Amino acid sequence: MADPIVHMENITKHFGPVIALNGVSFDVKAGECHCLLGDNGAGKSTFIKTMSGVHKPTSGEIMFEGRKMNFASPRDAMEAGIATVYQDLAMIPLMSVTRNFWMGREPKKGFFIDFDKANSTTMSEMKKMGINLRSPDQAVGTLSGGERQTVAIARAVYFGAKVLILDEPTSALGVRQTSNVLATVDRVRKSGIGVVFITHNVRHAMAVGDRFTVLNRGKTLGTAARGEITPEELQDLMAGGQEMAQLEGSLGGTV
Amino acid sequence: MSDNGNGDGGALAAGGPDDERIKKTGGLRQWLIRPELGGIVGVIAVFIFFGVLAGDSGMFNAQGIMNWSQISAQFMIIAVGACMLMVAGEFDLSVGSMIGFAGISIAMFGVVWGWPMWVAILITFAICMGVGAINGVIVVRTGLPSFIVTLAFLFILRGFTIFIPQTVENRTIIGGIEEAAEGDWLAAVFNTDLAGWLFRWLADIGVVDTFSRGTRAGEPVISGIPMLIVWAFVLVIIGHVVLTRTRFGNWIFAVGGDAQAARYVGVPVDRVKIIMFMTTAFCATVFACVQVFEFGSAAADRGILKEFEAIIAVVIGGALLTGGYGSVVGAALGALIFGVVQQGLFFADVESSLFRVFLGVILLFAVILNTYIRRIITGER
Amino acid sequence: MKSFLKTVAAAALVAATPFMAVADGHESQRYVLVSHAPDSDSWWNTIRNALTLAGEQMGVEVEYRNPPTGDIADMARIIEQAAASGPDGIITTLADPTVLGDSIRAAVDAGIDVIIMNSGTPEQARDVGALMYVGQPEYDAGFAAGQRAAGDGVTSFLCVNHVISNPVVAERCVGFADGLGVELGESMIDAGQDPQEIQNRVMAYLNANPDTDGILTLGPTSADPTILALEELGLAGDIYFGTFDLGENIVAGIRDGVIQWGIDQQPFLQAYLPVVVLTNYHRYGVLPGNNINSGPGFITADGLELVEALAGEYR
Repeated sequence: MADPIVHMENITKHFGPVIALNGVSFDVKAGECHCLLGDNGAGKSTFIKTMSGVHKPTSGEIMFEGRKMNFASPRDAMEAGIATVYQDLAMIPLMSVTRNFWMGREPKKGFFIDFDKANSTTMSEMKKMGINLRSPDQAVGTLSGGERQTVAIARAVYFGAKVLILDEPTSALGVRQTSNVLATVDRVRKSGIGVVFITHNVRHAMAVGDRFTVLNRGKTLGTAARGEITPEELQDLMAGGQEMAQLEGSLGGTV
Repeated sequence: MSDNGNGDGGALAAGGPDDERIKKTGGLRQWLIRPELGGIVGVIAVFIFFGVLAGDSGMFNAQGIMNWSQISAQFMIIAVGACMLMVAGEFDLSVGSMIGFAGISIAMFGVVWGWPMWVAILITFAICMGVGAINGVIVVRTGLPSFIVTLAFLFILRGFTIFIPQTVENRTIIGGIEEAAEGDWLAAVFNTDLAGWLFRWLADIGVVDTFSRGTRAGEPVISGIPMLIVWAFVLVIIGHVVLTRTRFGNWIFAVGGDAQAARYVGVPVDRVKIIMFMTTAFCATVFACVQVFEFGSAAADRGILKEFEAIIAVVIGGALLTGGYGSVVGAALGALIFGVVQQGLFFADVESSLFRVFLGVILLFAVILNTYIRRIITGER
Repeated sequence: MKSFLKTVAAAALVAATPFMAVADGHESQRYVLVSHAPDSDSWWNTIRNALTLAGEQMGVEVEYRNPPTGDIADMARIIEQAAASGPDGIITTLADPTVLGDSIRAAVDAGIDVIIMNSGTPEQARDVGALMYVGQPEYDAGFAAGQRAAGDGVTSFLCVNHVISNPVVAERCVGFADGLGVELGESMIDAGQDPQEIQNRVMAYLNANPDTDGILTLGPTSADPTILALEELGLAGDIYFGTFDLGENIVAGIRDGVIQWGIDQQPFLQAYLPVVVLTNYHRYGVLPGNNINSGPGFITADGLELVEALAGEYR
């Protein structure tokens, strides 16, 4: 595979006395799905926000397509091609699918929104992702959680994302919806976009991931490629070792 | 989620272009999910109600129609601003005080200090929209609820409105505006009766009554369409187009629907909110201009409680108090309902203190209906 | 849900019905009284009760309208609305002639007879084309009070004015002086609004002018501290003391003999008489030739019981 699109080297982030990230290295290449695993409080969301331009790192470098980048705002990161789909802040339920899809980048015809273009594009992009909308006027609130994630992903893809960050896209979903979202991730990856898939669910990660990086207490514990690591090892790394192994034993390996 | 045949993952699995499980949506449903529906139903109901109860009371003669049209137009002007602000997720409780403040400002500059009226008007617009911007900046900077911030301005503005003329002029009612505005081009924009010929013709064919005595004997009782109504229509149309057809309108919905989500996709949330606060201030100032130039005086107690009347009209018109959903046309219909009910009860000879009872019932009824409609739209429970 | 909404609608209709007067095709006269008072102003209860009473006694339909918040611009719309409903007459206050003038004139020109009550002056009433003015013109009230005091042997007086900025109220003192037949001169003092100050100024004046044998106060604000001043000087009951308007302390003062009389503008008559006048005008074509003064009504220790019994209802 080619050079990474985004390469983050030894990132640290402090909030006053609190050290949220303490040396994180991470990269993602075109057409791969790189899973970032970590338990709650491991620093996943700080990491995402650093990558998407919400936070500036205290130290460390972010390289984008080989150049050193210094994102001033989420808008900068977005324009460079880093799109983020947040777990629950992705969509506005009361607004139509079209309005959500184009939010912030509405196509204009003269002074007004070009609704013909907006609606037809939305319909066709959603169809590409495997969702047939009843109508582009349909409120997002009528869609299922998985469908909402898919709208957000389709939106990011349509607007030329090179890297797509998915923040726990499956955590609130049922089994069927989860597999739908995972299928979407697979589809996006195959189109040549680098996917950063954040999760604490090893099973979901294993289903689509090409590489796996574990984050624990603000540090990356190394990266493994598919086939180099077992789900059990990942689970252990995430939880930080021994106690988890014992716990798992008592639960009969179901976690 | 409601499992209505294509919910959950069904649509994804089916995939193909001709999914027989996707309901064809008829025109009826398209029409049903409009936020204006409650308003339209309400307007029809209210007109039937008063048509039966007060049909022969003069409510539907030319003067009567003009009367409730003017009242409704007043509500509409402030409801447009309040509606767009509410869609953007904020309130402005300082609207009523702003009306009093703007009126006194025009009178102070234009009458007491003798500046040309058009200058007085423009300065007043600048000051009031500036105050609106301050409201907005405080709300977005501090993250305090706009309810509290604008409540503070309700008192601050009212205080200045009484203090300034009291200190300078020893009185709180300033007259002489009509004389000072004589021949002023900008004042005329707020106080001219249009299409007088139409009413003279209507009087000739006997549709409109004429004055039977006095200096205006023989003239129609209505001299034209007041600018108040023109302004109301213009603002409603502009507000509606901006909200539904433009990029900025989409941002207003987004900001009110979920400010964080909007911010993530690059919508300038703070700017949108501040502009919306300035818009309500603009509408309040238009209201004040129309009023002072029609009645020829400004008083420090004008506009009391108008902020609530605006909010009530907006809520009757289908907007959500929590933001992100609403319609300017709906708010205008809400204003029409409000105006027709208020004046209609007079015409129907209902004890005037019961007006509040009716208002409360209508408000409750509207909110229940709107909540019900919204649930249909979004499928939420 | 649907059935629930229907129930609500039906209930609202049913609840409303008893309050709806049947439109009866105007067999009897219909009069609308429009006031400038907000809902919260209880003084106007007397007006409403008197209006209802007059309607019953004359057998005419009467309605009371007011802007709920006291906004005069809203009041102009109410007058326009009242005119549109085609009553035989409108009885209205003239709180602000600039704002209300056009609406009232339009009603007059449309053939509706208008009587101005309470606020306004006879001149302003004539100006807007009203038939007459029913109220208490300040000068006339002061003049009548002055004549009464002269009859009781008063020769000089002190006028305690707590609203010196309002020239209309000062007319009361001017009228009083004229009724008494003396020059107003220095006998009107600017007492300010503070009770302590008013008390001190009254005491200072009475010390400087020991031959003063009458006092006129213009309302409870100036009357209450004046009572205290007189008590302190030991003049309570000795000096002739009259006041405008009523209040708890004033009523007590009248009962104790400190105050000879209180002037009541008699709001009852301001609502009652216009209905009577209009009805007789419309039925028999008779009309009094002048404005009617509803006051001054003098309340003395004699009539006090009735006043206290009917306070807030008809007094």
